[in-house]
Amino acid sequence: MIWKTAWKNVWRNKVRSLVVIISVTIGIFGGIFAVAVMNGAIEQRVDAALKKEIAHIHINHPNLRDNYDMQLTIPDLEHVLETVNGTPGVEAVTSRTIITAMANTATKSAGVQIVGIDPDTERKVLELYKTTMPGTGSFFETESRHHLAYIGQDLAKELNIIRYMINETVLDSLKNNEVPEEILVKLATYNGQRFKSEKAFKKEMKSILTLKEQHAYATDITAAAWSFRQRSKMTLTFIDKDQIQTGAVFRIAGIYDIKNSMFEMSQVLVKNEDLVSLTGMTLKEMNQLVISLEDTEMTEEVTASLQADLPDLEVMHWKTIQPDLAMMTDMIQKFYGFFMVLILAALAFGIVNTMLMVVLERTKELGMLTAIGMNKKRVFSMIMLESVFLSLVGGVVGMVVSKFIITLTAKNGINMMSYEEGFEALGFSAHIYPVISTSFFITVTILIIITGILSSIYPALKALKLDPSEALRTE
Amino acid sequence: MKILEIRNVHKIYNSSEVKVHAVNGVTLDFEKGEFAAIVGPSGSGKTTLLNMIGGLDKPTEGEILVDHTNLADLKSSKLIDFRMRNIGFVFQSYNLIPVLTAKENVEFIMSLQKWDKKKRDERTLELLKAVGLEDRVNSRPSKLSGGQQQRVAVARALASKPKFVLADEPTANLDSKSTETLLDIMEQLNREEGITFIFSTHDARVVKKARRVITVEDGKVVSDERKN
Repeated sequence: MIWKTAWKNVWRNKVRSLVVIISVTIGIFGGIFAVAVMNGAIEQRVDAALKKEIAHIHINHPNLRDNYDMQLTIPDLEHVLETVNGTPGVEAVTSRTIITAMANTATKSAGVQIVGIDPDTERKVLELYKTTMPGTGSFFETESRHHLAYIGQDLAKELNIIRYMINETVLDSLKNNEVPEEILVKLATYNGQRFKSEKAFKKEMKSILTLKEQHAYATDITAAAWSFRQRSKMTLTFIDKDQIQTGAVFRIAGIYDIKNSMFEMSQVLVKNEDLVSLTGMTLKEMNQLVISLEDTEMTEEVTASLQADLPDLEVMHWKTIQPDLAMMTDMIQKFYGFFMVLILAALAFGIVNTMLMVVLERTKELGMLTAIGMNKKRVFSMIMLESVFLSLVGGVVGMVVSKFIITLTAKNGINMMSYEEGFEALGFSAHIYPVISTSFFITVTILIIITGILSSIYPALKALKLDPSEALRTE
Repeated sequence: MKILEIRNVHKIYNSSEVKVHAVNGVTLDFEKGEFAAIVGPSGSGKTTLLNMIGGLDKPTEGEILVDHTNLADLKSSKLIDFRMRNIGFVFQSYNLIPVLTAKENVEFIMSLQKWDKKKRDERTLELLKAVGLEDRVNSRPSKLSGGQQQRVAVARALASKPKFVLADEPTANLDSKSTETLLDIMEQLNREEGITFIFSTHDARVVKKARRVITVEDGKVVSDERKN
């Protein structure tokens, strides 16, 4: 009966209860949605790192990471490969050579890390090959008598391998994309002109387009003007096995785009067979094994097992290879809790205020209830239940709205392209797919109930202090 | 059989400036089955006396025994429980729980005492029938007239089969027809089921019906008459 009475009491003053419920709904929705967006961004980042950048486990010479000396190879490679392939949970493994190098084009140069790979096994371990930008080539699929290199979009921009130009084709494609005539007229003045960098192109566009036009069409124009020069080349210079500076010209065999500037700027993939011929090493002298697992959850278990089998080598899982990723995922869990507690604490004050009003308004009734036999425990329970119901209704509505909006936005993602540069500099995609786990909803529900209980304590204590004979005299 | 004994009870209110002797040495006994009215002008101390009998207020001096239990011996939580089981209350302004129906209001105390549902339903319907509201069981107080609400309050007061019912000016807010109906119902319950009623009132109609009239003035009993 107390539960029933408390529930009915919530709806006694509908407007007031609705105001509280709506504020709880908005608070909970805001909190959950913000967490879902952050969570989505981080999950995408970790997923991208595991699938496209580092995979789950690396095995290398214990000193390799100190200076990336190519001579620090994995001894008895065949045996190690056999051990790795025989370890349960391992999905695929590929071997790599790693060399620090300088990349040059006619106009620009940049420090890079050359990663010598075996394209066939590399495909089984990482999905980087799937991110090849259309029209820039393939992932070492076509035979060539030249040395081939597979580079990141940002390095291609830095080395002026990707350029920006306006020509008839670009103008036509923009026209088809319904870019207004007045903008096309402005762009036509640049017909035939090339820009050496994205920065130079964007600067020029800013000078001719209004802010509104930039906001609406700049992304389309930049994408259309993007141009890759076929058969582009670059020179890679490095030190060979005998410490002699060497180098060769590499033709671009594809440009990958993984929305991570740091990775795109530094990682240049070439075929192992091309590299060994230049360094004087052999295909049996590899610096690193990269392993993908059937299930990310097995990472630590497989790492321990491999380390036990290969005690002389360094076996590292992704959390130690990229500690920032691990820290981010761990930190964010704590942050979510803190964030929600903060929101609920703010809501608690609203609930306290409402419940104080309730006690004040119902002084006479509370006096009557005590007179006819409702003891302090029951009065306390009734006020507490009212407060829990009030917060829980708002909370549940908030969670339903959140779930709905998250499901809706998770389908197509949230486009934050205007902040693309900033996001990519940090390794995040500017297209975020919000994600939230069911366990988070359970945690929030528990937190809401706790909030309801805590915010009822003060008003309930006020109710307990009422003297029934005095309370009955109030009007 | 004595069900209520009031022994030399005093109640003094000490405010900062004045000392009010609201009840001044009252001694009374009540037998089972009485239909008694405590009458007196406003401020005579009848409501204070009633509150002390009901355990809502504590005497400054003297003692009150309900069925041989001294109320002063009971701690706060025990007193509330004792009240629930032994004393029924009817208030001047009905004081029903507005969000509950007539039936729910009546069964509220029974549910606090954890009666099983079947027994509760039977008792509730029996009581609502006794007060002539069997057709309004599912009405909320706002849908009932003042007289009907007070009849629900009487049914509620009787729910846990108390030793006696204390009614503080029960007819003060009622018109004469409702007053008559209510008094008839209470008198009938008193005669047929032996329920003891103690009223505080200055309503002549109540006084007329009462079989014992206790007059209080300035906190003292000035007369105690029994009618046959």
